[in-house]
Amino acid sequence: MTVQVAAPGGGVTEQGTTRWQARAKTISETVTQLSRIWHAAAEGAASAEPGGDVKVRMRTSVLTLVVVAQQPEVAERALAIVGALASRHPSRAIIVSPGDPDGPTTFDARISAACQLAATSGAEICTEEILVRTGGELSQHLSTVIAPLLIHDLPVVLWWPDEPPFASRRFEDLADMCDGLLVDSGDFRGDGRRGLAGMAAVVATGRSVHDMGWARLSLWRELLAGLFDHPLLIDVLPGVRSLRVDIARPSASLRISKAACFSGWLAAMLGWEVATPLVASQSGDRLSGAFKIGKRQIPVEFRAIVAGHSSVPHSPGSLVRVEMELARGRATTRARVTRQADHLLATADWNGAQVARRAGQLERFDEMPFLAEALDRTSLDRIFERALGPAVELSGR
Amino acid sequence: MATRTGRPARSKSAPGTTKAATRTTRARDSLHVFRAEAPESSANPLRAGTRLERIPEPCILVIFGATGDLAQRKILPAAYNLSRAGLLPPGSAVLGFSRRPLSDEAYRDMARKAIDEHSRSKLEEGIWDDFVQGIHYLQGEFGEAADFRELEEELERIDAERGTLGNRLYYLATPPSAYADIVSNLGRVGLDRQRQGWARIVIEKPFGHDLASAGQLNDTVMRVFDESQVYRIDHYLGKETVRNLMVFRFGNGIFEPLWNRRYVDHVQITVGEDLGVEGRGEFYEQAGASRDILQNHMLQLLSLVAMEPPIAFEADALRDEKVRVLRAIDPAWTEARVRGQVVRAQYAPGWSADHKVPGYRQEPEVDPNSNVETFVALKLEVQNWRWADVPFYLRTGKRLPKRATEIAIQFKQPPLMLFRDSTTDPEPNLMAMRIQPDEGILLRFAAKVPELGLDVRSVNMDFTYGTSFMKDAPEAYETLILDAMLGDASLFTRADEVEAAWGIISPVIDQWHDWDEKAASSAAGSDDGDQEGTLGSVGDPGLCFYDAGTWGPDSADKLIEHDGRRWRRL
Repeated sequence: MTVQVAAPGGGVTEQGTTRWQARAKTISETVTQLSRIWHAAAEGAASAEPGGDVKVRMRTSVLTLVVVAQQPEVAERALAIVGALASRHPSRAIIVSPGDPDGPTTFDARISAACQLAATSGAEICTEEILVRTGGELSQHLSTVIAPLLIHDLPVVLWWPDEPPFASRRFEDLADMCDGLLVDSGDFRGDGRRGLAGMAAVVATGRSVHDMGWARLSLWRELLAGLFDHPLLIDVLPGVRSLRVDIARPSASLRISKAACFSGWLAAMLGWEVATPLVASQSGDRLSGAFKIGKRQIPVEFRAIVAGHSSVPHSPGSLVRVEMELARGRATTRARVTRQADHLLATADWNGAQVARRAGQLERFDEMPFLAEALDRTSLDRIFERALGPAVELSGR
Repeated sequence: MATRTGRPARSKSAPGTTKAATRTTRARDSLHVFRAEAPESSANPLRAGTRLERIPEPCILVIFGATGDLAQRKILPAAYNLSRAGLLPPGSAVLGFSRRPLSDEAYRDMARKAIDEHSRSKLEEGIWDDFVQGIHYLQGEFGEAADFRELEEELERIDAERGTLGNRLYYLATPPSAYADIVSNLGRVGLDRQRQGWARIVIEKPFGHDLASAGQLNDTVMRVFDESQVYRIDHYLGKETVRNLMVFRFGNGIFEPLWNRRYVDHVQITVGEDLGVEGRGEFYEQAGASRDILQNHMLQLLSLVAMEPPIAFEADALRDEKVRVLRAIDPAWTEARVRGQVVRAQYAPGWSADHKVPGYRQEPEVDPNSNVETFVALKLEVQNWRWADVPFYLRTGKRLPKRATEIAIQFKQPPLMLFRDSTTDPEPNLMAMRIQPDEGILLRFAAKVPELGLDVRSVNMDFTYGTSFMKDAPEAYETLILDAMLGDASLFTRADEVEAAWGIISPVIDQWHDWDEKAASSAAGSDDGDQEGTLGSVGDPGLCFYDAGTWGPDSADKLIEHDGRRWRRL
């Protein structure tokens, strides 16, 4: 059973959270409504305590999050996630849902502010959400819609679910206004090459890009790296002979963005250059190319694997297995990371005998932890940026 | 050593202290050398930029008292969770050492049960299969040198099998009475030496029960180990708290200029617990609030707030500054000063929240005539250029109304009150740093009441650090064991720090014992059972009582009101 209590200023209190809601038909009305809400909120909270102290309700904000949601269900999903992240990243979230560009020009904003009591101290954490629906020509000028609604001075993060229209005017204007871009390369269309190039272009302009697809590779990277902590294996690491990546392929197209990022990362860390960009085999379920270090070629192969019946769904482009062959002197080594049901297993053989083995639990396939992590660090992710160059070059055109 | 001259009182009461300080200086020099020779952590190029960029070298965690409560409840689950998070390199091993005869297999079963029961994350078969291969057990007596020779062989065997490079982390999870035996036997066999890898030893709180015993313990340990190898765990102070405090003080430019006697009127530190002794009566009878909380936790908080900016955010630079604060507190406690500036109290029956609770003397395992304090309040002064004449009021207790840890900096009144028409004078500015629950910062300032007239009111601005509910936070033991493996000692207590803290608290406890003895003998003489006689009378143990569920006895209020100030309401 939930108890609702009317709070001053039109707010409603429910289970420790006070909420205010308003609607607006113009941008200036949106701004007015926001300040009206905070005025009411401040009045509501200015209850004098017995000792003469007055408690003021105030916002703690660390950033403005702008979400462009092409579909209504994406907007709903974004709203839910932003709400859940509120206490960790108190922020103003602006969710824009651009409608039919050929219809009449419309603007509709739903404003909602919430103050949530922190567990025990009685301190409040306040957040705002603005859900903006635009129609007609206005949908092409989202930056002018959003600019008046940003919080002064604080970083602006642009989260664009699906593949953003990189290189379009509409995207560039918005990206110019923001400090960081947040995307999921796992959601890019087709084989993902265009999206990869798009991210690289944004990075080249000096803005930070966070890719949730890349973040999902962390465990793969950590486990592979962990194998080479072994004193025998670290010496062999410069001697990589070949690289093979197996990619899950539940759908028609083979999405290579993750595999390319992973290979690009190895290249960047180990000083490889791209020798031959990937070329598809006739059957289309195999791509081969090569890196080089000095004069030595390192063949790279991506293979499509029809996902087996495992309990964890494979999304298009997920890695299934990564295997490297290494040699130095008389020692030959194989290092591989393989996806099991819900965890990853990394093993390494040294002259045929297993010398290292470790497992790591996969996170649930959920956007929230990755979004939270991306918002934790609004700075540039140097390693990702270094990996992106060779990744784009390898995937070719 | 210059800091020691002019402090004869300390040296007289603590013959071990000067020696400890010399040792520490030496230890620090060798630490730098050790650091310089340590391999770069980024030797593995694939590690760069990952969450696990700083990963310890593979090592053997040797648990003394491996079948005991601490090992089962904390250490084994912590090691498992570190391994699960990928923070232990492959090859890491655990070696249990205890009296009980057990096979490797039996100990592995025991470890599995312990992790199943006490780990914050569920036991996952895939991870466990990896982890269990590194668990071994060796039966032995802590006092038998021969058993330690066997231990050495076993360690070398594991080194060869798992590639642990001769790195050892010894964890003393035994009662303190066994520390001396274990340490000297480790030394006798030469297991303290760092030939190929490193050897470090983790010691649990309590580090002694007074200044003399702490000095003895330090002597025992440092006869064998170098200070740079010793990690004294005080799990009370989380990494986050220390970092938040440091970032707040030294990451902001606007507070530091105010952080001194010119602007600060006084400082209050409160560590309140709403719980009673909760079945730990036997332990608490030996400890009391002064040993359990005041000597370690509260003095740590005090030194973090009062210290000078360290020259680097690094273990020894930080601890150097913290020790300097403790040394600036006058340890010369006369009987009158203990009477006047320290409140010793014990909770009587009362109401804690919505249920009736017994008094301390009615708790199980507690002597019905116990004089052990469950509450202490005291006034300290840090006598240096920054803080001279700024009192620090400290209070801690069990069965207080709330669980709350807070540091409050009370600033001085504005020099001149301009607003005579105001019906109330604004209170002076206050900055409160909340440690738990809900870590955050509160700033109180004066604001004009809107509309008519010129009324001034105090207004609180309250900031709460985001609670990281997304990831379940690692247990204190996980962070600390990992830090020890990485060789990061910033959260561990150094020998001179332990002794300096005891140097402040020990004389107070001694004075109380003195009073207890006098009270016992005078009670035997006059048969007068009344404990709450007037303060200062002969045979009065100076113990007050407060009802459970209140903020301590009246005398705690008087302590601070005597100076024209009052405790912050929490």
